[in-house]
Amino acid sequence: MDETTLKIERRDFLKLLAGAASGMMLSGYAFNKLAPVSQAYTDWPERIERWIPSVCLQCSGGCGLMARVVDGNVVKLEGNPLHPVNRGRLCPLGHAGLQLVYNPDRIKMPMKRVGRKGSTQWVSISWDEAIDLLAERLGELRERGQPHSLIVFDGRPTGLMGALWERFCHAFGTPNHLSADEPDGMRIAHRLMQGLDQLFGYDLENANYILSFGCQLLDGWRSPVQLARTYGYLRQERPGPRAKFVQIERRLSPTAARSDEWIPIRPGTEGALALGIAYVLIREELYDRQFVEQHTFGFDDWTDARGQRHKGFRRLVLETYRPENVSAITGVPVDTLIRIAKQFASTRPAVAIGSAEATLHSNGAFNALAIHALNALVGNIDLPGGVLIGEEIPFKRWPPIKSDAVAQEGRRRPRLDRAEADAPWLDALPLEALGERILSGTPYEVQAVFLYESNPVFSTPATARFAEALEHVPLVVSFASFMDESTAYADLILPDHTYLEKWQDGPAPPLSGVPTLGVTQPVIQPLYETKHTGDVILALARRMGGTLADAFPWADFKEVLMFSVRGCYEVRYGRVFSEPFEGAFVRQLQERGWWIPQFSSFEAFWKDLVKKGGWSGLFHEYGKWGHIFQTPSRKFEFYSQRLKAELEARAKRRGQPLEALLEELNITARGDDVFLPHYEPAQFAGDESKYPFHLNPFHVLVLNSGSSANLPWMQEIVGLHVHVKWDSWLEIHPETAQKLGIADGDWVWVESPYGKVRVRAKLYPGTMPEVVNIPIGLGHTASGRWASGRGVNPYALIGPAADRLGGLPARYATRVKISKA
Amino acid sequence: MPRWAMVIDLDKCTGCQACVIACKAENNIPFVSPEQAAMGRTISWMEIIPIVEGEYPRVRVRYIPRPCMQCDNPPCTKVCPVYATFKNEEGLVAQIYPRCIGCRYCTAACPYTVKYFNWYAPQWPAEMRACLNPDVSTRPKGVVEKCTFCHHRLQKAKEKARAEQRELREGDYVPACVQSCPAGAMFFGDLDDPMSTVAQLARSARAFRLLDDLGTEPKVIYLSEGEWYGPRKRA
Repeated sequence: MDETTLKIERRDFLKLLAGAASGMMLSGYAFNKLAPVSQAYTDWPERIERWIPSVCLQCSGGCGLMARVVDGNVVKLEGNPLHPVNRGRLCPLGHAGLQLVYNPDRIKMPMKRVGRKGSTQWVSISWDEAIDLLAERLGELRERGQPHSLIVFDGRPTGLMGALWERFCHAFGTPNHLSADEPDGMRIAHRLMQGLDQLFGYDLENANYILSFGCQLLDGWRSPVQLARTYGYLRQERPGPRAKFVQIERRLSPTAARSDEWIPIRPGTEGALALGIAYVLIREELYDRQFVEQHTFGFDDWTDARGQRHKGFRRLVLETYRPENVSAITGVPVDTLIRIAKQFASTRPAVAIGSAEATLHSNGAFNALAIHALNALVGNIDLPGGVLIGEEIPFKRWPPIKSDAVAQEGRRRPRLDRAEADAPWLDALPLEALGERILSGTPYEVQAVFLYESNPVFSTPATARFAEALEHVPLVVSFASFMDESTAYADLILPDHTYLEKWQDGPAPPLSGVPTLGVTQPVIQPLYETKHTGDVILALARRMGGTLADAFPWADFKEVLMFSVRGCYEVRYGRVFSEPFEGAFVRQLQERGWWIPQFSSFEAFWKDLVKKGGWSGLFHEYGKWGHIFQTPSRKFEFYSQRLKAELEARAKRRGQPLEALLEELNITARGDDVFLPHYEPAQFAGDESKYPFHLNPFHVLVLNSGSSANLPWMQEIVGLHVHVKWDSWLEIHPETAQKLGIADGDWVWVESPYGKVRVRAKLYPGTMPEVVNIPIGLGHTASGRWASGRGVNPYALIGPAADRLGGLPARYATRVKISKA
Repeated sequence: MPRWAMVIDLDKCTGCQACVIACKAENNIPFVSPEQAAMGRTISWMEIIPIVEGEYPRVRVRYIPRPCMQCDNPPCTKVCPVYATFKNEEGLVAQIYPRCIGCRYCTAACPYTVKYFNWYAPQWPAEMRACLNPDVSTRPKGVVEKCTFCHHRLQKAKEKARAEQRELREGDYVPACVQSCPAGAMFFGDLDDPMSTVAQLARSARAFRLLDDLGTEPKVIYLSEGEWYGPRKRA
């Protein structure tokens, strides 16, 4: 026993006492100082344990984290009890953040391609070299007057990183900052009926009747933990009568399984069912007359300024959508329809929720209109328990940009996803249509593509030909953390930090209507030579100089974040996260118009913000009708004047009568019906006689659309209800399987007009007889050792079809045939 | 002495499996290769058992989160030849890895199938070893492991309470799964304290225990409306 180890300094002893008292240090520390039993003990490190708040960025749910960091390693992620989104809870993906950060397949440094495109031969380079190289290539584009030919595919277009990309594109001179996020057709309904191009929230906690048209409320929709909390609350915690939850869906998903009633429906006919429900509401006079009279337009027949009579929603519905007609379209029995409609009307507040599942169809936009119309019929817009139109987070505005002539010229070019004058559709094209455009050089040759949090080669149908498109583009830059399918085609890889190593904003998705901002902060030092993509943008702009450099007066992304959140400090509402009771008290004060400043300086605000994990606006202000209805009539429009104006303008630009345009768009309705919520027959790729089944690709919470397939924990729990691990499966109705001679676990071929995949069949009675289901997120060909080569990607089967108005991919509109492999 | 118990409200459970992964992260549970998984060797101290019943369109899917039941009358301890698994004074069924000889009698005896055998030494890529929980030992090859109700958290909670010179309070000690549950479907506490949440819930008309008629006296109590298997019995 040597002297030095026995000696206990007074300071060490005090530290030890403090450690014991606060419980913050582990026992290893004590042994180290007190009992030098063996060399092994004395070699124990002094374990410093810290809990650091942050925000999970696995999905866009915005849950608050508490990261347990021991000796510089994060060893556990738990929920932040103060965060209003998740209140200390966390979903499986959240926990598996550990396997993301410490994943052995991470890209560890910037790399440059040396082999041919797609050959995945790389050499590592320094960051200086990488940014020099990129600045040089982008500088050439500007010199050649082609800044518009840079495309940024942004998988996280909301929040400050989206704003930073937009600013970069603005200063650089490209209009092409394009969302690579999964689309949701409800947005189109909100735009056409309320004039707001955004997704709305739903106050489910106060709803008494939830009518979900395929919405995956418990399978990863928007904010998984918040939705699960709401579900638990509605089931057993909320006093009073229990809320009823009805799921209309083509598959008995876990969400449908947890609902009070599952109503199977033929794919693509959700809009028809909504209109059938509207029929009962109108026919039986069960709709909210006061709301309809005061706040809606086009319900009854009306006369325009030129004295022309127009059909109203009431007449259209009563003439066309009798329950027996709707039942024939949807396959939902008449008595079920009438019962659901009466319950929906009589159990207020009742809310109808649409979804990507109901709207990513050939008739998606019209389905969205029909579903959203129900909320207006029961007058449940901007009410507790209803549809909430949330406020933006009050970020401080960035200084205006002065762009140079080159940038201004570039910005004047049309966006890659916009229709040219001679194309019929109304909306911007979906991501899957862009591969083809890049290949054909329409409307111009694409010279450079940036991939930020997006992997279009994997997440768009094979028919979109994104792999070929990326091979075709001279400069592809990926900011991915993993060698995913799209990054394989990159010329330059500039790997981002994972979210546990960086500063970022973590806004909560629109759900409660209350603006909520979590702060993602680094809980560990970056493990590798990765760099915050925000910092890369800033460094790139500085290197390129001129107006581009002037547009970014910040040293790093943390400065951008601090600059922006100053807005939350300066607005006179909201509060840094606090205990629920304290928050409730302050909210009550603020609802009555009181405001008590919490901090004397921004520095104090920032310090507390980072310590507590974020800021919340606390309450939703009801009754701002001018904000909620930004339509020509300043009302909710059953009859969408905007749709009419847009269609007529397009027809005029193309020099054709409206009739001809509708013909071309394959819209069957004529006259006023076109602009009212109505049902357009769903169309499917593949002839029914040859391809008898509908293919329904579905999302699984733990696969996160495929980005978490390389986390072994997620692979172990992927197919819970069918007992599948580490693989894909095809859900098939037991009787259908029997007819085809398929037994549970058999290998089968699934073939569409566009491709075929081999997968194991699982007999699942929650499958409709005419539908088969395959999960989305497996079938990677890259993306890491655990993701690659496992299962199948249903996007291999899907065609390029889009919604009639053009904005939505018809991902759920493909037919397939099944044969034993 | 407290009698630690868990209550799981099946009416609130969404089957999201957060508890499963929270447990794996907390307790250093290794993942196994797909090939091993196909042989049924996935280790999952907390597991959700799905039950799919009925025929289309009247199909019912239920999820039952299943940790170790920490039976008051555990069948597993009775068959252990080396006293590696035993019920400790706080009613937790302990598993002492260095004593275990890997005979798997307990694995066979447990009617809830909560015991898992380590067919080989746990394997992690070097990078992933960094995120192991320093409070929980990893298990060697050839021993049986199972849910401990996050016993290490109890030790820490006790130390903390002692340092603060107070009794253990409700909420001081909560297993990782309970803490994580997004739906708030799980509760934990002392069943012998009549005022505790778990004791109150255990008296609910919805309460039942899995395979109660075996006489194992499990300390995991489920809540569910409607009929279940067998008669209801109070815990």
